[in-house]
Amino acid sequence: MINELMIIIFTPLIAGVIAWLLDIKGLREGISVIGAAIPLAYLIQAYHTLASQSSIQYSVVISGFKFEFLLYQISWIFAMIAGVVGFAAILGMVSTAKDSYEWLFALMSLTGVYGVFLADDLVSFFIFWEIMTFASFMMVLKYNKKASLKYFLLSVAGAYSMLLAIGMLYAKVGALDFTTIQQVLYQDAMRGVLGTNTLFSRNEILLIFGLFLVAFGVKAGTFPLHVWAPDAYSETNQSYTAMFSGVLSKAGVYGMLVIYILLGTRLVYQFGRIGAAPKFGYVIAFLGGITIIVGGLLAALQEDIRKLFAYSSISQIGYILVGIGVGSALSIEAAIYHAISHALFKGLFFLIVATIVLRTGKTEFKDMGGLAEKMPITFAMAFVAILSLAGIPPLVGFASKWLIFEAVIHENMPILGGMIFFGSAIGFVYLIRFTYAVWFGQRPTELDDTKDAPVPLAIAMGILALLNVVFGIAPGLVAGELNKIFGKEIIQGTIWELNLGFGRYNGLFITVWLVIGIVIAGIIYFLGAKVRRVPVTDTYQAGNPVTMEYNLTIRRNYFLPLKETLAFWLRISFDRLYQDIGKWVEDLAETLRHYIYNGNVQAYAWYLAIILIILALWGV
Amino acid sequence: MVDWRLFEPLFEFARKRSLWIVSFCTGCGGIEMPPLMTSRYDLERFGMMPNPAPRMADLFLITGYVTPKTLKRIIITYELQPDPKYVMAHGSCPLNGGVYWDAYNAIKHIDKYIPVDVIIAGCMPRPEAVMDGINKIMEMIENGTADSWKRYKENYEWYKKNQDELFGEGWREREARRWIPWLMERKKGEE
Amino acid sequence: MIEIALKAVLILLYATFVGFMFMGIIRIVTARIHRRVGPPIYQPILDTIKLLSKKSNITHGLIYDFGIIYALGATILALMFIPLGSISILRAYGDLILITFLLEIPMLGIMFAAMSSGNPWAGLGSQRALLTLLAIQVPLGFAIVALAEFYGTFSTYQIVMAQQTAGWSITYLPLLLAAVAYDLVLQAMFGKEPFDIMIAPGEISLGPMVEFGGKHMGILQIQHAIALFAETLFFSNIFLGGAVVTAFASPILNTLASLGILLIKQIAVLLIAIFIGAIFPRFTIDQAARFYWKWPTIIAATGAILAAL
Repeated sequence: MINELMIIIFTPLIAGVIAWLLDIKGLREGISVIGAAIPLAYLIQAYHTLASQSSIQYSVVISGFKFEFLLYQISWIFAMIAGVVGFAAILGMVSTAKDSYEWLFALMSLTGVYGVFLADDLVSFFIFWEIMTFASFMMVLKYNKKASLKYFLLSVAGAYSMLLAIGMLYAKVGALDFTTIQQVLYQDAMRGVLGTNTLFSRNEILLIFGLFLVAFGVKAGTFPLHVWAPDAYSETNQSYTAMFSGVLSKAGVYGMLVIYILLGTRLVYQFGRIGAAPKFGYVIAFLGGITIIVGGLLAALQEDIRKLFAYSSISQIGYILVGIGVGSALSIEAAIYHAISHALFKGLFFLIVATIVLRTGKTEFKDMGGLAEKMPITFAMAFVAILSLAGIPPLVGFASKWLIFEAVIHENMPILGGMIFFGSAIGFVYLIRFTYAVWFGQRPTELDDTKDAPVPLAIAMGILALLNVVFGIAPGLVAGELNKIFGKEIIQGTIWELNLGFGRYNGLFITVWLVIGIVIAGIIYFLGAKVRRVPVTDTYQAGNPVTMEYNLTIRRNYFLPLKETLAFWLRISFDRLYQDIGKWVEDLAETLRHYIYNGNVQAYAWYLAIILIILALWGV
Repeated sequence: MVDWRLFEPLFEFARKRSLWIVSFCTGCGGIEMPPLMTSRYDLERFGMMPNPAPRMADLFLITGYVTPKTLKRIIITYELQPDPKYVMAHGSCPLNGGVYWDAYNAIKHIDKYIPVDVIIAGCMPRPEAVMDGINKIMEMIENGTADSWKRYKENYEWYKKNQDELFGEGWREREARRWIPWLMERKKGEE
Repeated sequence: MIEIALKAVLILLYATFVGFMFMGIIRIVTARIHRRVGPPIYQPILDTIKLLSKKSNITHGLIYDFGIIYALGATILALMFIPLGSISILRAYGDLILITFLLEIPMLGIMFAAMSSGNPWAGLGSQRALLTLLAIQVPLGFAIVALAEFYGTFSTYQIVMAQQTAGWSITYLPLLLAAVAYDLVLQAMFGKEPFDIMIAPGEISLGPMVEFGGKHMGILQIQHAIALFAETLFFSNIFLGGAVVTAFASPILNTLASLGILLIKQIAVLLIAIFIGAIFPRFTIDQAARFYWKWPTIIAATGAILAAL
């Protein structure tokens, strides 16, 4: 009987390969959907197993390396995120995938993600990390080579840093599985406390931390390593981006948690704390705060619908990093809660974008408008997603943002608190931009016969929207699972309520009273006279008559005053910096090729002679 | 459920004590509006406020002469207002042409195109005369005789016939399309 | 159950009535500053009755209607959470951040309704309203942070109770700075000069509200009244000490006394806003954003950092 962890990890890959080999249109969709649904079913079953035993474990030895896989509470939560959002994304791809190539790589990246979450030693972690990056790179490559090249270079830089850090750890510790490394580093910290010599010196542990930070920061999209994200998220199949930005970025977040688990005690001993947060955590949190602001402000200024949501993804991951960085148990729980809610609403948003792009064929705001009447189901889903991202109770986005805010303030970090507050306002702002340009206003005549979402996409969106609403009204369901990570009741309260001792949030009361308020307003509304519907051209424009040929909606450059206010800061761009560094390296290589590898045989003969003389003098 | 006709006196009291004026004061009489709204003849103590959006306003002031160009905008703005709405005309020009009785481009009888409740004679009526007119319109609202909006709805064909005779059929679309080249040229210039 | 329903209805009626009085106070005080007589103090009630009794209304679609209803519903929801003497219903759940978020939701509903009307000025007004909202978030965030750090709790009711023994919040320096910043933010939240660029009468015909008429505008007036009441009440509770009177023996007299004290504090806040609003012209949107990101942010951030020490 094959262990269920192996089934969870490898089923999507096998399904993808079969779907790629049998290129029959209906069959490959069915196989892929089954391939994404089976791990989800096993994970739900594993929930019951985990209630009785604390973890499910599996290890296999291949050519001298021992690969370990472990399913315990934290990895179960992250694997469930991958399962649900991945399943919804694959279901969405049923409508938008173009050929079997995409199925293969989408499912391969799902395998990679499962492997990353379930790995218990550094080698399997790295292998599955690379599988995940490779598969997503291939998905982007099909659409746009330049974007995929940027993604590839930055990911490879991250992967090499991770490899270096793993190498340094292996050299000193001698083993690769998480349990041994954790124990050794903990003893190291204890030795440091007692005053004896430690295994890792200060510079070594700082270097390992920095390398891991680069590796996971690239994946999560931290400022300044975020430059691959807008292009990569836009230039691929948009249903796949639901998984790409919803799940794969959580691998970066999981990596940050791995830093905490493995290196946490050692770094706290070495570098101390700022306030109540560890110093190394404060670095992560501060980078997260800047990411929130930069991502959000840039999102408000975009003209392309996919890029707006790509920058929005970067901004939301910043929230999670702030929560992780602050380091107390409550803030880590809040960060994981936000990871769950971000995966849910961002996955929903990208599926909506996929529907819009599929049905209208347009991707820029200036071509869209007034779609709310033509695509009512999609608009209802978009309404739920907008309320969730803006952080409006009673949906799940508010619960997670509230938790992060309370956790950060409780640890006395005012600057981070101000950054988070600003971030939620920015979320409001770019969402209204999206709503106004796409759903409301005057409709261009060429969009007059757009159809609504196809059935698979509608089902996928429905699943995610339902989870958004359910987890918002009953936030205690998620909080209960999160409390099991730490074993004690950090977030108290019932399933309807989150009680932190210094603040309470009750999802049920808010929903009930909101409905009562809307009913009262509705009564006042219906007591008035009846309404008659008027077309959009029957509007006040200082008495001038208007026809449909006038442009009545501001679709381009909507936030021009914001661009003018930020004109100074927008001149700094890390994207241009990286491109300039790339060009500089190219020029250097060109110079070297010109002077050294110049094709002149006599020069090569001279090089050979010089090297032989040096070797002879060296005594080899 | 509730018979709203029982509340008619309350509604008429509210309507007469909170008339909102559409900010459309063109024509010579527009100069008499600022004295009305400032400290000497304060109009706000009757609850009247100038309001830039016609959808929320009830009182339309035709202050002075009207040309066909202005009349098109007046008709469009008047039709945007919700019922019940009232019109007050200042001066002799809306009544019978006034000083412009022989001009080729001034409307002589505004009552053919837009129903009017109260006309205030004078060239231009002083603020005291306008206050008198406002008093009269408040009385008419209380009596229920300020029914120009009902007249417009019931005799809409007659009004429309007069408007079309003056401007030609389909005048709204033609007027809208007249400005499109100017707008589009400006946009091309900006890009 | 019946008791809760009765309390809810009483709070709602009281808030609406006092909110309309506040709108009337704004108009009559502004008129007296201009040396005019001004309308009677119950004028907004007459305006609302006139608007709700219009005989024909128009609509631009489902969201146009639903946005307005949602805005009023969200304002009523926000009202239920703020402690009002001793008769508020959900005051145990009145979290600082929750109330701040709930006071911003009505703007979302109004903007949805305005944008669905398809008027370019409504879109322009929404853009300016959003940018104003963005601009005020930074000092607002720091002020809330200062408050939470100083008292160590997020519950509004506990902050009110703490002020009964320790004195008003503004007697402490960090919270005085936070109160100054929050008062400047209140100018924009009320929509008064110099930050009324989102309304901008005359320039863009009242911005988002250009296509609202009849009963939609009537509902918006009710929403504005309740929102005025809720925002001034929130400020009085967290910075000016709220009011929990226990001097009398009967609870009804206690409630009336606390409502009276709260009313005086709310009118004080409102008068400061009116006085500032009557003498300033309007900022453009980038001037407003730059203003808010400079001085109020520095004041509020100083307050927050001092409170965290």
